[in-house]
Amino acid sequence: MWYRYWLHHINADRVAQVLSIPLFLLLWQWVSASGVVSSRLFPPPTEVISAFGRWYDSGQFWGDVQVSLTRVGIGFFFGSVIGILVGILTGRVRLAANLLSPIFGLLRPIPPIAFVPLVILWFGLSETGKYFLVFWGVFFVVWMSAHHGVRKVDPLYIRVAQCLGTPRSKMLTNILLPGAIPYIIVGLRTAVSISFYTLVAAEIAGTFSGIFYRIDVSQQNMQIGQAMAGLLVLGVISLIADRLFYYLSRRVDWSAS
Amino acid sequence: MKEKLQTKGHITADSVSIVFDSVGKRNVAVDDASVDIQPGEFVCILGPSGCGKSTLLNAIAGFVQPTQGELTLDGRTIKSPGPDRGMVFQQHSLLPWKTVLQNVAFGPLMNNTGQREADSVARTFLNLVGLGAFESHYPRQLSGGMQQRVGIARALANYPNVLLMDEPFGALDAQTRAIMQENLLNIWEEFKTTVVFVTHDIDEAVFLSDRVVVMSASPGTIIADIKIDLPRPRDALIVTSPEFLDLKRQCLDIIREETTKAFALQNAS
Ligand SMILES: Nc1ncnc2c1ncn2[C@@H]1O[C@H](COP(=O)(O)OP(=O)(O)OP(=O)(O)O)[C@@H](O)[C@H]1O
Ligand SMILES: [Mg+2]
Repeated sequence: MWYRYWLHHINADRVAQVLSIPLFLLLWQWVSASGVVSSRLFPPPTEVISAFGRWYDSGQFWGDVQVSLTRVGIGFFFGSVIGILVGILTGRVRLAANLLSPIFGLLRPIPPIAFVPLVILWFGLSETGKYFLVFWGVFFVVWMSAHHGVRKVDPLYIRVAQCLGTPRSKMLTNILLPGAIPYIIVGLRTAVSISFYTLVAAEIAGTFSGIFYRIDVSQQNMQIGQAMAGLLVLGVISLIADRLFYYLSRRVDWSAS
Repeated sequence: MKEKLQTKGHITADSVSIVFDSVGKRNVAVDDASVDIQPGEFVCILGPSGCGKSTLLNAIAGFVQPTQGELTLDGRTIKSPGPDRGMVFQQHSLLPWKTVLQNVAFGPLMNNTGQREADSVARTFLNLVGLGAFESHYPRQLSGGMQQRVGIARALANYPNVLLMDEPFGALDAQTRAIMQENLLNIWEEFKTTVVFVTHDIDEAVFLSDRVVVMSASPGTIIADIKIDLPRPRDALIVTSPEFLDLKRQCLDIIREETTKAFALQNAS
């Protein structure tokens, strides 16, 4: 029979993956429509889509996305650059490690969201405060990965370089940094998702645009559909950021084959 | 050309002892070792696992300082590693983030050679070890034997006076190993650098060297220094010649005799 061929080549894993999201939406639609839960508090996907349409048509959507991405981008950039530099310093200079590690150990576990009240006092409603919160979330993860990365570089590689006549001044760029790359990349990738978590903290108070700001406002107006659309947008954007980072990082990560 | 007179690469060890102080325990890795290695000489250090061969070699490389005694290269005390001593390591040691060409060009580049000149030196040595076609591969894409050949090319690219080799063929199968040994001898005939080659394989030591320095297990002392006056150039068939077998037996006898003596001494004390 003609369909035998297709049956033979259909991959059960692939089918399940393709059906996963449509099935989820169907189930959601059904639960909302069935009246088991209040459809006002738990609107169906169709309502979420039209809420998204209204958001888009209002002209605020791209503005919100741009503002949020700028906050994430700037915070991430400074958090990771300074994190890598300080990590190399503490990883190689014992005095720096002894001085800084206890302080960082104390500050690192404080959730960025706990800083929101202080940040508002310090920076007012300015964008600097938002950058600061994202920076705070990113910095420690990246610092840790760079710190451990440069320490874990195989001592054999250092010997190889010494034997080939590498001066001390060239050791960092030629051996330590490339050797630590696989660790630093893991840290940076974690920091990508963390920067979206901290974005939420940054937009909780003292702002008038941004994706999470929109979610917050919709909730206050009981526009649950719009709030859910905001959540989905946040999810999709951070997923894209993660994938994008993954593909870019594979170009520099020599340990990924 | 074979008689090119080598004047550099003279190594001396004068009563060298190397002790590691690990938590409350003194570990004597090398005990009172003295040798004199002439410029251009091919010397094998032969001994069982753990007898301190790598430690002695690392001290010549400048990674480890003798606890007592003195090591010199061309009359100067060895204090630190340097490009005058090329090293081929026991484990995989190519830098995984660099291509084969970049690995070999790295030494010249670190010694103030320009990029183009360094690449051209690297290509010369890659061709010498027969891997010219693999210059843009990454180390993980090569077999173990190929990686060791790149390692040899890399060590030679600095034109060192001394080549230090730590069981470079230890992880290879017998056939590959035999080919690599012949290759190495050909390369050495051309450059006549001093070679200090560590191995625990008697056949390998006798086949390659001008002299075999035998070490015994803990504490690492030198128990014999045997001259190998087999004709050169040597090829793989020499291992079946009566002269080769005779020298091998000589080595075995000395090792057995010295080991028995050492055991007797240990039992007495
Ligand atoms: N960095 C170190 N710290 C403490 N002990 C060491 C160190 N390096 C070597 N040793 C000790 O010195 C002794 C000799 O080690 P070495 O590596 O020189 O042996 P080897 O002859 O090269 O052995 P193999 O054939 O297995 O490579 C061993 O007992 C080892 O445990
Ligand atoms: Mg060894």
